[in-house]
Amino acid sequence: MAAAGTMIGNRVFVVLLILRLSFCPCLVGGTNEYKRQLTLQLNPNSTSVPPGGDLLHVRAVGDNDTLHFLWCSQGAPTLLIVHTNTSNSLVQVNWTQFLSRNVSGGLSVEPQSSIQYSIAVVFSRLLEYDDANDTAMPDSDFFPPYELQNLNWNRLELFDAKARLCGETPEFGNGSLCLTLSVFDSDGRAESWPRLLHSANSSQLEVWLHGIMPRSANSRFLLEMQAVGGDFPLSRVDVRQFIDDEFTPSIFKVSQWVSPVKGGSDVSGYVQWKPVAYRQSNPALEDATPCRYSDPQTQDGNATAASSALIQAFFSQPNITGLNVSFGLAGEPFYNSTRFLSWTMLVGVGAPPVDTFSPIVLAIMAVGLGTPMILLLVGGALVCLHKRRHGSPATYQPIN
Amino acid sequence: MADFVERQNLLEDDESSPAERRSASGDDRPMSAICDPSRLPHRAVVLVFMCFLGFGSYFCYDNPAALQTQVIQDLNLNTAKFMQLYAWYSWPNVVLCFFGGFLLDRVFGIRLGTIIFSLFVCVGQVIFAAGAWYDLFWLMELGRFVFGIGGESLAVAQNTYAVNWFKGKELNLVFGLQLSMARLGSTVNMNIMGWVYNKVAVVVGSPGPTTLGASLMIAAVTCLFSLVCALVLGFLDKRAERILHKEEGKTGEVIKLTDVKDFPLTLWLVFIICVGYYVAIFPFIGLGQVFFIEKFNFSPAEARAVNSIVYIISAPASPVLGFVVDKTGRNVVWVMMAVVATLAAHMMLAFTFWNPWIAMSLLGVSYSLLACALWPMVAFMVPEHQLGTAYGFMQSIQNLGLALIAMAAGAILDSRGYLVLEVFFCACICSQYFYLSFLLVF
Repeated sequence: MAAAGTMIGNRVFVVLLILRLSFCPCLVGGTNEYKRQLTLQLNPNSTSVPPGGDLLHVRAVGDNDTLHFLWCSQGAPTLLIVHTNTSNSLVQVNWTQFLSRNVSGGLSVEPQSSIQYSIAVVFSRLLEYDDANDTAMPDSDFFPPYELQNLNWNRLELFDAKARLCGETPEFGNGSLCLTLSVFDSDGRAESWPRLLHSANSSQLEVWLHGIMPRSANSRFLLEMQAVGGDFPLSRVDVRQFIDDEFTPSIFKVSQWVSPVKGGSDVSGYVQWKPVAYRQSNPALEDATPCRYSDPQTQDGNATAASSALIQAFFSQPNITGLNVSFGLAGEPFYNSTRFLSWTMLVGVGAPPVDTFSPIVLAIMAVGLGTPMILLLVGGALVCLHKRRHGSPATYQPIN
Repeated sequence: MADFVERQNLLEDDESSPAERRSASGDDRPMSAICDPSRLPHRAVVLVFMCFLGFGSYFCYDNPAALQTQVIQDLNLNTAKFMQLYAWYSWPNVVLCFFGGFLLDRVFGIRLGTIIFSLFVCVGQVIFAAGAWYDLFWLMELGRFVFGIGGESLAVAQNTYAVNWFKGKELNLVFGLQLSMARLGSTVNMNIMGWVYNKVAVVVGSPGPTTLGASLMIAAVTCLFSLVCALVLGFLDKRAERILHKEEGKTGEVIKLTDVKDFPLTLWLVFIICVGYYVAIFPFIGLGQVFFIEKFNFSPAEARAVNSIVYIISAPASPVLGFVVDKTGRNVVWVMMAVVATLAAHMMLAFTFWNPWIAMSLLGVSYSLLACALWPMVAFMVPEHQLGTAYGFMQSIQNLGLALIAMAAGAILDSRGYLVLEVFFCACICSQYFYLSFLLVF
């Protein structure tokens, strides 16, 4: 009897599972299924290797729009994303103007009227402070900052679908600051922690502080970034909480530095990260260190344009906001313990990707929580049936 | 576990108390109330020592949970290895639960046995602390193993003493008090060890294995205190035996492994329910502190407090709920309710950001409810002469399940995070419905 009940239960469960999954595409889906064609060009239309840094152009063509990713190491490392509404837009570089770095217009996207939105992120400075009392309050005891425009940037290394840029300076010792750009043609999730969910409209930047010689035993680092948001500057950071930490264990938040459209809830561009950095290159859960950010503040456009060739060339009057990301909290190990920090962020246009459950978790939840419901219903029905068939026994039976 | 001993000895209640009184009055030496073993004031003093007998072991059992971040950071562990500290406590008890009663009855006697097990608890905690001091993880595991040998058997000894001194109507109160003291030990541990560690860190200079080792040594003082209680109890018991001419207490357990083939199917279901339930409670509390810090943004002190609420609630709730279950009967329904409440608590913690105090309080109530309703069910299902074996089996399976699931929980957390861990616990609890529905039908 119990076996028959289980069989019926199983059939009902399967039907319920299918119904549940088909009515909740929001849980299983993530971002739009959208594919782009990627083409890479290193130093486009340049007759010789430009001194001082490279310019990488990745053209991601969709059905009727294009994303141009420009990654430049002339001066401070800069990522520029330009979104156009045609699949035929091109990037034109006037190398003389571009390399002179004193006028704008050296880089343009043609046709100019097709440009919908542009967002740029500049890595301007790496700051270091001596956290002698282990309070992780970066307001004093700063060492002289590293201006990233003054680092010796190596040539861009292209491998897989990534471009790595490493910079050195004598003060780092044997260490380097590496920035790895990955551009994607469709939805997916990175392999290494924090396993950010990306779409075809986003790119991922990994920052590695690798082997840098800290100037004190209790040093902690901050990374300063500046962003230009086209018409709508990146003015606020939203923090979103969610219950699923499957892909980044023990992290339940995501921070998004967004450029809101006219103060509303729509956003046209974003920088997204999870507030965690890792102290090993193949991290385990214990190697996670939290990070914090400061509020975005307006910065001087002229100074930024002077530090980055790409900003100078593309934007005429950029509206710059900047913030710091600081690594480590009070009580966490210092940089000196492993001399390694890795931090990942996504830069993209449109709305930031929303994290979802993995199919395994959903399946376990459906089985684990659905089965008892079924069993309770079936069991209750069977008990009622049993009682009705046999009636309730009398308390006293006649003896004779 | 305590209840079966109580029922056995309540049956002998009427025969032994007149005998006691006869021997006491046969002795002509006048004694003050506090020195007379048959009078209440002396027995109250004995009760105090009896309660504190288990304090040290419960205090030190949850030391890893109270210092989770420090243990992991100072010794460079991952969560899976951290949970080994709990697994190694449970391994000896898989086997020892059978033999604990036998050892206390036939081999050592209750007095010597209690002292020996207290020594194991003490020595185990000292080895554990030494392992932390010298940063030797294998030594810490050995320490927990030795600690485990003493810990569970000490509980059996404590119950035996209680039955021996407090037969009759007082026994429920005494068991309730002993359980409350045990919970008190756990609570104090959760809330104090962090503070102790910080103070030691100031003295030593910086956090590290030395600081951890020193904090654990300080915790071992409670075990020393329990050892002293064991010695005093042994002395008082021997003195009472001499004055009252009564026998040394026995556990009353007779473990015959051949009884296993007579166990009904419903009893095996109860075993499985017991395991499936406790593995969703204790490993969760072991890993809870960091969960509350990360997900709910609690400070470490707050996180420890909310972690300990389960124990704080079960201290007063156990006697009350026990009374309610006794009055109404229908143990299976109460067990069902406890399982539903625990599932609700875990789901609240996993899928919402609601204040975890609510979920953890619910967990505390349902944990107490299950303890009051599930353990006595065994007494309804097996004849009295098999009760010892049945309870021994139940403890043994519970410890086996705890050891395995503790390690699994650590591994799951390391690779997939807290949500998957909570879903895993929810799945464990949901499997209980399955077995409970069978119980209801049969």
